[in-house]
Amino acid sequence: MLTLLRRYGTLIGFAAILLFFWISLPETFMTARNWLNISQQMSMLIVVAAGMTIVMVMGDFDLSVGSMASLAGIVAAVLLTLDYPIWVAISLALLLGLAGGAINGALIAYVGILPFVATLATLTMLSGAAFVVSGGKTISGRAIPEEFGNFARGGIPLGEWGGVAVSLPNLTVVALVVVVLVWVLLEQTTFGRRLYAIGGNIEAAHLSGVAVRKLKLIAFALTGGTAALAGIMYASRVASANPTQGSGLMLNAIAAVFLGSTLSEHGEPRLLYTILGVLVLGVLDNGLTQLSVDSYIRQILVGGIIILAVSTSSLTKGLRSR
Amino acid sequence: MTFLSLKNVTKAYGSVPALRGVDLSVAAGEIHALMGENGAGKSTLIKILAGVVAPDTAEISTEGRRVEIGSPRRAHRLGFRFIHQEFNVVPALSVAENIFMGRRYPMRGGMFVDWRKLNEAARETLEKLGISHINPAQALGSLSLGDQMLVRISSAFIGEEGGPARLYVLDEPTAALTRSESERLFTVLRELRANGASVLYVSHRLDEVMDICDMATVMRDGRSVDTGRIADITHDDLVALMIGRRVEEAYPPAQAVPRDETVLSARDIPIRDGQPISLDVHAGEVLGIAGIANAGQRNLLRTIFGDLPSAKPMMLGGKSYRPRSPADAWRAGIGYIPRERRSEGLIVSRPIFENTTLPHLASQSRWRTMLRPRREKQLAEAQGRLVRLKASSANQRVRELSGGNQQKVVFAKALAGKPRLLLLDEPTRGVDVGAKFDIYSIIRDMTAQGMAVILVSSDLPELLGMADRIAVMRDGAIADIVPAAGLTEDRLLNLTYGRVAGN
Repeated sequence: MLTLLRRYGTLIGFAAILLFFWISLPETFMTARNWLNISQQMSMLIVVAAGMTIVMVMGDFDLSVGSMASLAGIVAAVLLTLDYPIWVAISLALLLGLAGGAINGALIAYVGILPFVATLATLTMLSGAAFVVSGGKTISGRAIPEEFGNFARGGIPLGEWGGVAVSLPNLTVVALVVVVLVWVLLEQTTFGRRLYAIGGNIEAAHLSGVAVRKLKLIAFALTGGTAALAGIMYASRVASANPTQGSGLMLNAIAAVFLGSTLSEHGEPRLLYTILGVLVLGVLDNGLTQLSVDSYIRQILVGGIIILAVSTSSLTKGLRSR
Repeated sequence: MTFLSLKNVTKAYGSVPALRGVDLSVAAGEIHALMGENGAGKSTLIKILAGVVAPDTAEISTEGRRVEIGSPRRAHRLGFRFIHQEFNVVPALSVAENIFMGRRYPMRGGMFVDWRKLNEAARETLEKLGISHINPAQALGSLSLGDQMLVRISSAFIGEEGGPARLYVLDEPTAALTRSESERLFTVLRELRANGASVLYVSHRLDEVMDICDMATVMRDGRSVDTGRIADITHDDLVALMIGRRVEEAYPPAQAVPRDETVLSARDIPIRDGQPISLDVHAGEVLGIAGIANAGQRNLLRTIFGDLPSAKPMMLGGKSYRPRSPADAWRAGIGYIPRERRSEGLIVSRPIFENTTLPHLASQSRWRTMLRPRREKQLAEAQGRLVRLKASSANQRVRELSGGNQQKVVFAKALAGKPRLLLLDEPTRGVDVGAKFDIYSIIRDMTAQGMAVILVSSDLPELLGMADRIAVMRDGAIADIVPAAGLTEDRLLNLTYGRVAGN
């Protein structure tokens, strides 16, 4: 019973939330359109949370993903206003993410700074840089080519549903591709296995021939890359960029990984569970918005649910080991 | 007179019984050994005595009166004191602060700690153990592991508030101690016994038990199987009781003689905190390394293994060998069994097969990148059979295994790449008798196939029983290399202290 609660508590809670919204919003909630909408709203968070899972597998985390997303969006937008082709703007912004992540990794793995301190410092720097590059303004308007914004608005047509045409949003497709890539990386490659080894026991991993420092650097670089991608996706979605638009991503990504790890058998971060965690957050956000619950109340509820999920899991774990 | 009596103690964790019925009776003024293999239930019994775990059934009495333990506080009030394997210390605090942790510090003016008095009291406590070389004001973390353990032990011997100590429970206290440090502890235990206190002593080291204990109770599979006077029992009987069968020899015989072929050759290789070292290891040979604690054994192994930088190349299998990381060493065909299996050897939260294949992952994978779990599990299962691992499957988490079986996983991992040289650092520490014999057999099998072995051990009988030659390290240098045949324990001990010349 307790094991069931520990293992499936979050799932049961999720099911209860779904049921509640379904009953409260019989017309709109359980529709294909709404779910595709949720998937689009969540696509940026999915990408960042997938990247966050990579470093959290090693027992580290990256606080700078939000400001990296903001900066990458700004840089892409500024390059577009300077008439660079879209592919150049996107590539450079992605490269910036990889490089920034690699700097995080170097500070943590080679200089030996704690992830909390190192990424808190880069969070501040990246956020400052986003303001400097943008001049503190939102970059939008005619300077940004229409194709850039149209990408996020477009999708793959899926047919009709109740007389309305529905399509799979392009941003959702991007998020799915990232999930598949990160899943293969973490679950099917020697790289992922070694990251889990580092997370389990860094000294034993080192003595077993795992190149701990190099792998940490690569892992943080990838996390930075996913943050930048999310920033670009966001900029495309609103066809503009402002220096604070990524700020909510970091806490939500970490929350999703924690929520997800309460579902995994041994309490470790696993990508597919992280995605479930994102889904929980996304459904809550979507349902509460539709019920016109105030966004500040929403924050309180989301925080409470995270505490509930993680404490159910850790309390029942404590009881079992007694 | 019986001080402590336990009758029919049982405890199950979920559906898994840990204790199926234990009787134990410890007299006042007696050192009583509690023996048994890992997993026999000793730890659970001790936790019950400490009030940390509640038994399912138990009749416990002290001095003839029925008592309930229930909490660590109650155990303390009954006069029970515990010295555990894992020590609870704060390395950044001073020796004196650690000794008096959880007790009232001497105060001045009701507000300020009287540091001088505290240090003085700590000094007195240490002197009771005959320890004069430790400065109470020093940070605990700056001491050697053995000294830290002595500090930990001494803090249990403080007379104090909450009633006098009547029973000391020591769980593997000598695991990190050198011989002379252990001797000092034994002197104190004998003194306590003379003053009428009881000692419950848990150790895998049979010689120690035979030496200092009066009585022994042997546990097997959660039951107490026999209790008797140490004077009436032989070493072999005790072992047979513990593992439930007779072991003919403590060390399996060598199956072949070492060959002439040199596997590793080091010439004047500088060692951190030591002097340049030269040695050769041959195919099929076990080269033992003896020495008191911290004589440089660990750094020697770590240099060969690439964890510490080597200023000069060595020769491995006839080729120049200069590792820059453990990964280089694994690739070159060196396997390593580190000293601390839980902190250095294993990832206990991961399955057996992942631990086994970790150093050899690339060669087990497609394009050296894509995992092939089925193949890994096959390798882990084959290796598990080789080292006589007892586990439910290759998927089992290492955390769930007993100490001896965990050590076998470390062996399975080191041997999975078919190394030509195996480096062993205290390979049987904290391992029960049955698993020990298995590990010695594995070493014999491997050397018979031509593997070379370097065996660092503080267990002198082990070195004499397993090694072909023994290199004696003193002060970071190899002082002598002598053949093991014909060497006695006394002579080897004298060599490690430099009291006689080799040859």
